[in-house]
Formats: sequence, C-alpha cells, structure tokens
Amino acid sequence: MSILSNRLTRRPASIALAGTVLLAPISLLAPALHAQEVTVTSSSSSTSERWLHVRVIDTNHKGETVRVNVPLEMAEKVLPAINKDRLHSGKVRINDTEMNGVDLKTLLDAVRSSKDGEYVTVQGSDNDVRVAKQAGYMIVHVTEKGFRSDKSDKAADKSEKSYERSRVDVKIPMKVVEALLSAGKDELDLVAALRALSAHGGDTELVSVKSDDSTVRVWLDSKNVSD
Amino acid sequence: MMILAKLALGTASTLMIAGVYTFREGTVRVDVDEHRAGGAHVHVWAPAAIVPMALHFVPDDKICEAAEHANEWAPLARIAARELRKYPNTTFVEVEDGEDHVRVSTVGTKIQVDVTNPNENVHVTVPLAMVEDVIAQIAARQPAS
Repeated sequence: MSILSNRLTRRPASIALAGTVLLAPISLLAPALHAQEVTVTSSSSSTSERWLHVRVIDTNHKGETVRVNVPLEMAEKVLPAINKDRLHSGKVRINDTEMNGVDLKTLLDAVRSSKDGEYVTVQGSDNDVRVAKQAGYMIVHVTEKGFRSDKSDKAADKSEKSYERSRVDVKIPMKVVEALLSAGKDELDLVAALRALSAHGGDTELVSVKSDDSTVRVWLDSKNVSD
Repeated sequence: MMILAKLALGTASTLMIAGVYTFREGTVRVDVDEHRAGGAHVHVWAPAAIVPMALHFVPDDKICEAAEHANEWAPLARIAARELRKYPNTTFVEVEDGEDHVRVSTVGTKIQVDVTNPNENVHVTVPLAMVEDVIAQIAARQPAS
C-alpha cells in the first residue's frame, strides 16, 4: 500500500494526464449533453408557443399533400431579414395598379372603424360572397357554384342542379387587420400582424378552402405538429 | 520504457481530446442512394468542426465571390439557423406527392432534409451551429465596402 502511495506521490504529472484523458470526453461533451437536456425541456415546455400551420391537400393526380408548421416567434424574426421584391423589413408594398383600382388599405380601414355587421352580401348565379365584421373578427365567405345535370329529374333530361363547387372561409382577428394597417402609406406591416396573431389567444382557423380537387387550411394553435 | 509509456499516453490523450473536440460540434451527414443498376451510393459523415476550419484555407478572393452571392440570403440564413435551434425535433415542411416525399425538419440541434422517391433517397443533416459559423466567417472576411 505504501509503495502504491509513494508511486502516486512521485508521479503527479502522469496521474493528472491520465485523469485528463479519462475526463476529457465528459467535460468536452458536457455542453452538448446539457444542450440536449435544455432542448428536451424547451420542447416539452413550448406549449405557450403559437404556431401557424398550413395544410394543402390536392386530391387530383397522385394526391399531393403539403404541410407547413411555422412558429410565429420565428416568423417574426425571420421575415424582416427578407428583402426581396415588394417585401422589405417585414412590410409589403401594395401596388395600386395590381389591385385593379381597389384601395385595399382604405377598404380595410373602413371595415376596422365600422361597427359589427354584414358589409357585403352578393348572391349571384355563380358565386355567393359575404363580408362581415363579427365579434372582433373580419369574416369573408365566398362560395363558387357549379352546375350538373340532374338525372333524377325524368321530366326534363337537360335540367341542371347547382352545387357548391368551392368554398372559401376567411376569419381574421380585427387586431391583426389593425396591425397590418399600422405601416405607412401603400404598405402592410406583416411583422406587426404576426405579433398580433401571436398575442391572439386560443386556436383559430384563419383560412379554409374546400373545392372539388383540393383542400387548404391555415390555422393557429399551440401545437408544433399538424393534425 | 516509462518514457515510451508517457509518450504513448500523451499522444493518445492528444488524439482523444482532438477527436472529442472535433465531433463535439456534431457531424455533417450526406447519404445519397440511387435505386437503379449501377446507381451511386454516397455516404459522407464529416465532423462539423472541420468545415469552418477548412474555410480558413479558402483564398480571400473566393470567399469574397461567395460573399457577393450570399449577401442576399446570408442574414436570412443566419437568423433562421439561430431560430431553428430553439425548435428541436420539429417538422417544418412536409410534401408528399404520390411516391415523392420531402421533409425539412430539425433533429436536436441539426437541420435535416430528407428526399425520398422511387429513384433515389437523399438525406442531408447539418448542425445549425455550423451553418451560423460558416455564414459568420464569410461575412467577417468580406471586404468593407
């Protein structure tokens, strides 16, 4: 025992080196392990995160499906870094000529400052359109009608029956509309809109499109996966 | 004999520390498998730490050329890489088109792109920290305008 202790006291450098070799992997990997630990924790505690989901299902051809999941916080930070075409610093320029003379900003501003109610109701032969403001939301419904021959109608073989060819439902919180309009003239502030969306509590279905050959859904919730 | 043992211990420890340090940043992984006769099968596993190191040996004019092309997307890529690290094990984009399947996701602190179809499978995994390092290095070596 004394021989061993003597050897140990005589070779401190060798022992230190051996100890370093043994402990090096642990000490160097510790930050990585710690990072893993942190990531697991953050993953499980990210329930307050707001996620924007987009799902497109095309029933034509081979049945294409696109799913996009974006955390709003990330979108808020990434968007200002994109400076391309009409998008700059998180704002998008509106070109009057491309809006067919419709002043989108004035239109949205008019809806914002008006009381709850139904603003536009069009019931045409091809389309039904409804624009309303209700309980803090701007609501747009568009139904496109199609016609097909009604075979059950034996009296008149050529009679056609209308059916719902596609349906578009848009439901945007008014706070988001207000945030969109907070930019300067001829601009929409997308980052401010994202912030407003982030602050909007609860699960919200923003856009839903259903047609013969495709389904589009855009919604907001606290899950990092699509359903 | 003892001197030899000490030398061996020193060499082994240096190699081990170097190895651990190299792999500490994770690995860049590229797997390509072509499903046809004579198709390519490429499997590359490289320590992520060597990529920023290797950049030091790239001539300045080449870096400047890369920086010119990168100017538009570099700030976006840097912010995206930093932000993506906050969302481990998440699928951001998934596209299924018949037998084609594309997925962009994070696995831990790495970004992973998987493309699978009947002709080939491609899987690329890159540590996000490495992406940040590379972009920062390219930006730092850009001449002041």
